Amino acid sequence: MSRWLLWTTVSIGVLLVLGFAGLSLMAGSPKDAIGMVRFALPHMHVGTLKAGDTAPDVRLVALDGKTRFHLRERTSGRPLVLIFGSFT
Amino acid sequence: MQIYNDYKDRVDFLTIYIREAHPTDEWRMKSNEKDKDDVCYVQPKTLEQRIVIANDFTKRFKFPLPFGVDEMNDAANNAYAAWPERLYILDESGRISYKGGNGPFKYDPKEVRTWLAQRYGDVKHAETPQNGRLGSQLHKTRATLPLPASA
Repeated sequence: MSRWLLWTTVSIGVLLVLGFAGLSLMAGSPKDAIGMVRFALPHMHVGTLKAGDTAPDVRLVALDGKTRFHLRERTSGRPLVLIFGSFT
Repeated sequence: MQIYNDYKDRVDFLTIYIREAHPTDEWRMKSNEKDKDDVCYVQPKTLEQRIVIANDFTKRFKFPLPFGVDEMNDAANNAYAAWPERLYILDESGRISYKGGNGPFKYDPKEVRTWLAQRYGDVKHAETPQNGRLGSQLHKTRATLPLPASA
C-alpha cells in the first residue's frame, strides 16, 4: 500500500470516527446517533412549501376513527394554526 | 397550552397527529420510559393503532385543541413536511402565512406567538413559565405535541 493511500484511508477513518462521535454527542449517545441516522433523517424534510403558497388540502380522520374531514373545512375566514406532532 | 387559551377566540387551531417520532421499534428514547411517563408505543401499522394513540394522548392530558389524525398514506405529513413536529399558520384565504422549522431544534412556538401578537396584540401574564413555548412541557414526556398549560 502506498503512503498516499495509507494516509487517505487513515484520514477518512478518523473523520468518520469524529463525525460519529459528534453525532453521538448531539443525539445523546451512540445508540441515539444510530437511531437518528436510521430512523429520523429519512423522514425529516425541509419541504417545498413557502409563505404565500396555497395550503395543501388533505383528508384527516377524527378521533372517533370514522369521521373524515378536510383540512380546508377548518379554514373558515380566520387564521388557522396547524400543529403537527406525535405522542413520543 | 397558553397560546391556544390566549388566542382561541380569534384564531382556529388544528392539531394533526402524524407518524410517531420515537416508537419502541424504531428510535426508542430512554426518556419515554422514565418514571410515570411510560410513553411507549410501536410505530402504528394501521389507522386504528394511530387512533388509539391519539386518543391516549388527548385523554391523558385533557387536550382541548381540535384534533385530526393523518391517514396511513401520510398525506398530511408529506404535504407539509411535518415530521417529527412542525407549526404552520394559514391566513384567512387559506394561504401559508407562517412556516415553522422542523422539530425539535427548529420547532419554535414563540414565532407563532409573535405572529399572533403582531396581528391581535400581545397577551401578558403575571407568571409566564410557558409563555411563547407551546411545547415547553414536551420533553418531559417526549410528546412532540404540545401539552395544555394545566398538564
